[in-house]
Amino acid sequence: MIHFDNIGMRYGMGSEVLKDIAFNLKPGSLHFLTGPSGAGKTSLLKLMYLAQRPSRGKITMFNEDVTAAKREDLPKLRRRIGVVFQDFRLLDHLTAVENVALPLRISGGKGAEIEEHVEELLTWVGLKGRMKSRPPTLSGGEKQRVAIARAVIKRPDILLADEPTGNVDPAIAKRIMHLFVELNKLGTTTVIATHDMSLVEEIGADRLHLQEGRLHMIRAGENTPKLKEEKFDSLAFDSGKLDQKEFGPKVISGDDMS
Amino acid sequence: MTKAIHFLPDEKNHEATRLLPYVMAVMVYLSALALMGSMMLHKGFGDWTESLSNRLTVQVTTADQETRETEVRKVMQLLRNTPGIEHVRKLNEVEIEQLLEPWLGAGNVTSDLPVPDILDVTVSRAVDINLDALNAQISKISGNIHLDDHQQWLGRFLRLMDMVEYTALGILLLVVMATICMVIFGTKAGMAENRETIAIMHHLGAQDSMVARAYQNRFMIYGLKGGVIGLLLAFVTLISLIYLSRDLASGLVKVPELPTVEVGILLVVPIIAAAISMLTARITVMRDLRRMV
Ligand SMILES: Nc1ncnc2c1ncn2[C@@H]1O[C@H](COP(=O)(O)OP(=O)(O)OP(=O)(O)O)[C@@H](O)[C@H]1O
Ligand SMILES: [Mg+2]
Repeated sequence: MIHFDNIGMRYGMGSEVLKDIAFNLKPGSLHFLTGPSGAGKTSLLKLMYLAQRPSRGKITMFNEDVTAAKREDLPKLRRRIGVVFQDFRLLDHLTAVENVALPLRISGGKGAEIEEHVEELLTWVGLKGRMKSRPPTLSGGEKQRVAIARAVIKRPDILLADEPTGNVDPAIAKRIMHLFVELNKLGTTTVIATHDMSLVEEIGADRLHLQEGRLHMIRAGENTPKLKEEKFDSLAFDSGKLDQKEFGPKVISGDDMS
Repeated sequence: MTKAIHFLPDEKNHEATRLLPYVMAVMVYLSALALMGSMMLHKGFGDWTESLSNRLTVQVTTADQETRETEVRKVMQLLRNTPGIEHVRKLNEVEIEQLLEPWLGAGNVTSDLPVPDILDVTVSRAVDINLDALNAQISKISGNIHLDDHQQWLGRFLRLMDMVEYTALGILLLVVMATICMVIFGTKAGMAENRETIAIMHHLGAQDSMVARAYQNRFMIYGLKGGVIGLLLAFVTLISLIYLSRDLASGLVKVPELPTVEVGILLVVPIIAAAISMLTARITVMRDLRRMV
């Protein structure tokens, strides 16, 4: 579903913030994306949601070489990807309902059904009373939930969430994770960037771990390797080994989640 | 064309373009006046010069009443026998009085005032009359008879009118250009103000045309609003002008009237303004977006 082939990326003339990234995420898989602040998590997600082009290498998504995609082809691809931005990026002058409805409107949905669907989802994330509120009047956690609702409303083929539980209390964080897991079970390939190791452990999915721009694959249950002292060559993927290093979809039981 | 998605902030919060309808109104006002002026001159004076172009005027200025009457009879005879001349008519005293009144004031034209006899001659358009030959024959009757075919005067007048018309069209062109520049500025300012909103729309999968549609609709409304205001003001101006010039009207100079067809053309001006505004906004947005990632 998402295939990175020897990707390097830099901002402008700066040094590479992502180096030799190679991996393949199978359709329907769920992965966490971890790593210290500034390691390049957001940058990696930007490549996946087509906000940034790599400075080298090839990215294949939906069986299409997106690094070679023409500008006109991007909207079609982007509509299949739901994104929870780290800084939410809601439209301040629209209400919560209008914000969440945008992806549906953009792909041509009409009036009443949209409204109903959106209100249902907002109720589910605990924003029943804030439907008509505009983002500037919402708390950080409330904004985050609006952003999440907007990302999942269309049940996208790929869901990319950047720190989706950074601003909410543990109970809501659990609820949101549960939502992602359910969505993933329905077939959405999911990548969640997070610092919250307790959630990672609870769900127990494979991890893409970034360290100083390099990617390390960590199987569910394994600990984060000690850095600096240890070598990660065995974990880092190069394009030649990709076929054996594919990660299958991780089936997660939602029993323990309320 | 599908319905535009509502994603831009409300118009009243739009600092960059809030004043645009008013500037648009001024532009439409100016172009409507230029257009109206040009059309009225064209039509009004066109009719008038038309009516003069197949006319000749003959003045008989001989002082002695009897001699003059004989000369008038002779020259009328001559004119009626000239091929190409359709009609000869001597103006009566009332008509001459009317012609003089604007200069002398009503009631001041008395019978003892020496006024020439004037013959109004209608010429067939089909035949070219040899005016030189006619002139020669007339001067044989008397040296006090003058034939005026208005051509020299008309020529100068028409050149002036052409100049006025070109000037009006030039103004129109400049106003249209200024309007386009203004809409480009307005669109760019509006886009700069909503840069993040547009970026988010792109991330959610909106095409450039969706973004452009929001702007082109908005600018079409600006054009239409401004256009209607401007045109109303132009009509008020025009009606006042016509009203004022009625008082000055005399038999000599006809006040040009605003013909219905031309009024109809003017009603299209706001629509043209809206169309120019809309197209300019669309082209500007599409071009600028292509430069964004
Ligand atoms: N727009 C940008 N221009 C230049 N450098 C950037 C830009 N965005 C990020 N960087 C740099 O790229 C590196 C990776 O940043 P990134 O935002 O991907 O980190 P992150 O892993 O998401 O961090 P965090 O956990 O704090 O969100 C950082 O060194 C950062 O300074
Ligand atoms: Mg980040």
